[in-house]
Amino acid sequence: MAAAPAKPATDPGLAAHVLARLGFGARPGDVEALVSLGYRRWLDLQLTPPPGDDPATATRLAAAVLRIKYNAGDPAKKQEWPAVDEMRPLATLAQPIDQLWPLLADRDKHDGAERRRPLLETISASLIRASYSEYPLRELLVEFWHDHFNVDAWDQEQVAIGLPSYDRDVIRPHCFGNFRAFLEAVATSSAMLYYLSNRSSRAGSANENYARELFELHTLGRAAYLNDKYDRWREVPGALQGKPSGYIDQDVYEAARALTGWTVEDGTGIDGHRKLPATGRFAYVETWHDGYQKRVLATEFDAFQPAMADGRKVLDLVAYHPATARFLCTKLARRLVADEPPSGLVDKAVAVWLRSRKAPDQIAQTIRVIATSPEFAASRGQKLRRPRALIAGFIRATGIEMTPTEGLINEMANAGQRMFGVPPPTGLADNTDVFVGTNAMRRRWLILIGLAENYWGTGAFQPSARMGGTIPTARAAAAYWLRATAGQADPEAVAAIAGSFDRPSDVPVGPRGNPDTEKRLARIAALAAMAPGFQSC
Amino acid sequence: MTLTRRHILTSGLAGSLAALLPVPGLRHLAFAQAGAAPRPLLIVLHQRGGCDGLNLISPADDPHFIEARASELRVLTDGADAGHALANGPAPNIDFRLHPAAGGMAELYQSGQLAVIHAAGLTDSTRSHFVATDMIEHGVGDAASLDRTQTGWLMRSLRSGGGAGVTAVSAAGSPSGELAGLTGTLAVPDLGGGLAPAGGPQVLAVLQHLYAQGESRAAIAGRQALAAMGVIDARLPRDPKGQLIAYKPDDAAHYDPAQDFARPLKTVAQLIKLEIGLEAATVDIGGWDTHEYQPGRFKSAVEKLSNGLTAFWNDLSPYHDRMIVVMVTEFGRRLRSNKSTGTDHGRAGVMAVLGGKVRGGRFYGPWPGLEADKLDEGVDLAVATDYRRVLTEILEMQRGKRLDAVFANYAYPGPLGLFGDRPPPKA
Repeated sequence: MAAAPAKPATDPGLAAHVLARLGFGARPGDVEALVSLGYRRWLDLQLTPPPGDDPATATRLAAAVLRIKYNAGDPAKKQEWPAVDEMRPLATLAQPIDQLWPLLADRDKHDGAERRRPLLETISASLIRASYSEYPLRELLVEFWHDHFNVDAWDQEQVAIGLPSYDRDVIRPHCFGNFRAFLEAVATSSAMLYYLSNRSSRAGSANENYARELFELHTLGRAAYLNDKYDRWREVPGALQGKPSGYIDQDVYEAARALTGWTVEDGTGIDGHRKLPATGRFAYVETWHDGYQKRVLATEFDAFQPAMADGRKVLDLVAYHPATARFLCTKLARRLVADEPPSGLVDKAVAVWLRSRKAPDQIAQTIRVIATSPEFAASRGQKLRRPRALIAGFIRATGIEMTPTEGLINEMANAGQRMFGVPPPTGLADNTDVFVGTNAMRRRWLILIGLAENYWGTGAFQPSARMGGTIPTARAAAAYWLRATAGQADPEAVAAIAGSFDRPSDVPVGPRGNPDTEKRLARIAALAAMAPGFQSC
Repeated sequence: MTLTRRHILTSGLAGSLAALLPVPGLRHLAFAQAGAAPRPLLIVLHQRGGCDGLNLISPADDPHFIEARASELRVLTDGADAGHALANGPAPNIDFRLHPAAGGMAELYQSGQLAVIHAAGLTDSTRSHFVATDMIEHGVGDAASLDRTQTGWLMRSLRSGGGAGVTAVSAAGSPSGELAGLTGTLAVPDLGGGLAPAGGPQVLAVLQHLYAQGESRAAIAGRQALAAMGVIDARLPRDPKGQLIAYKPDDAAHYDPAQDFARPLKTVAQLIKLEIGLEAATVDIGGWDTHEYQPGRFKSAVEKLSNGLTAFWNDLSPYHDRMIVVMVTEFGRRLRSNKSTGTDHGRAGVMAVLGGKVRGGRFYGPWPGLEADKLDEGVDLAVATDYRRVLTEILEMQRGKRLDAVFANYAYPGPLGLFGDRPPPKA
């Protein structure tokens, strides 16, 4: 040991803020571990996780089951399936899309619940990962990108079937990676090709759906949509130098043409003699592509380019556009720092984003500059926890052995977070306004009581074991759980919680081993988490 | 003060809230006073995603229309799928037809309660859902005004009407943009489970303490939620054992065919009947963003819309004279269909106004036509009636005065004549 005690590199208050904001909250010991590791080192480890889940989380995912129940098919309708009611592992998470795709065709062999199953398993896995992963920042970014590249798997069965692949092969591997590469993975995913209907876009009268949202929501952003100012491409400032400051409808129309032929192997007929195989994988169909010359963002596209070259050129143009850097950095700062992101911070992030635009860790570099900024450090408590973070944060604080159920998944939706189920392509907003409605607040509180008291069969809670085995007074228990959830125990909150039982607050809450004792302690933990302190992060 | 379970039980939910919480919103949730002038009631029905007004109400025999679209994206004049003929259209030589799945709306039109404003919408040239929605919710006509306007038009109309406080509800998970800026807006998708916090009186009492003060977003939101919840929940009918009695619509109202659109409508109807002082409500109906496979998807959305609107109307007969439902959408869709049997984002859409004092059974506003030189940017039905004109007329009729502040910088050209004398109702 050195003679002079080393000053801790990281303030415990900052550590608690980091764990709440760049993850889902602290488990016992997490703050101390981060302090001793140092924030920079912690952040480096979080930004470079090994591929796949950490071993403990992988074990949980492998052991997790989710009930599936449906009635036997109706023979009168030629439905062949037997009734099912079983606790089934999350088997679709690892399955390639071509193994799941036949569920769509064999409609007389499978109940609709089997086609929704990949969606529910993906939600279940996302709750397990948020609650237990050693790499919570990755899980947070995975959620951010799922919102950014939103798909609605509750609406279309093809999107539900494609969701495990979308999560596993598209979102997760790219969440800290290079944005241009990410964009092409999204553009060629069956989930997005179905959700924004590019898979049915054909030369002649292209479907503009994906192309429009590619510009407005995935890349340049609405601030760069200049259609109310300019009618023709050459009028856009910078266009004649090949660097237009924004885009207009003509760019959307042309980009839609460039992306025709990008589709899904879903069994559709190509012509009288050929049809696509039904695998759910990406396909490029030359005869559906509009091959003539185009102009996107003031850049000429020659006629009849090689396969996919037109679409890839569009992705280059939008991915590397300065407006995209600003739009994405603003969104990241809004999610990670504040609803109204400080403009100085966004400027710094934009510089890093642009400088690293060809780097394989472009997004990680950008997050690092945001997360180490003074603006981030000063933003403690300014965001509202999203419902998923409320669940995961409570599980981390309490150590409940939680396995998600449909009941919990439904409550998360009632509280405002219907995962993979937001119909408009904006996805769930990064700001907090959407989570503070009358009913949403009520549902947030309900989630905490429900987890503590096992309303939905997600797992029993043994609070006294967590608290070291001795039975505390109500007052001590309230203080313990306020600290464990919100990081501090306000005396008035302690008094309000401890004094709400029909018994004195300064004697042990009950005899050891008595179920009522555990119930009271669980109620105290839930009430502590219902306080404003834990609702914020 | 230490709260015990007994204390809460004896004082009751609303009583305990009123006694404990210095909540500004609570006072404003005043109950209707007997003998007071009836409050206006405005329900904004927002078709999310951009409803294809040309497929909802088609200029069915216009040759330009027939040229531009496959028959399955048009309402037809004959055959098994012929649409409902609407008299008193905006162009004397064109047969305007309502979608065949909108039988309920056709009856409301024919009975003179529903008026149609075709070729209505935003004059700005955006084809973005999100920009257009923001403009319509905030009540502005251009992007520059949007940057300056933080509040929703419906919220401003309440304030300028003098009714400061909680008088509005969004039948959704979060407040609609039309009500942005209004403190304490109720946002409840349904009242089926009541509105008390889970966990009983103990939890409620603790929440009241925990949220009594503090200025964080969470603290403010929780305080507002508790206030609104207390008032509403206390008025929900319960049986002698304290169990909630499910909402029972009027016998004339058949909500089931409206499917999931019934839920928000029933929520609003129930809140209206609870007489909590409601003056405004927003209800959303989705399913209109029909870039592909429009025929089936559009029909399904129209069925929900028409059945829902009819059930809601029939559920609220005693309120018809003070009630107006206005239907808006962010934009209409492209005149020419794409090769996915769908339509992309366009310009003008269709608005509809339903109410006991509406001079319905006819169209209002000019019809710009679908000739090539009449189209907006050469591709879309042009906007002939600014959506703010319709909204201004409704607000001024309901409030009985000019409301210049609601749509700032909008040069209101005067009323379309949506309201006026109608034959007295039959005895």
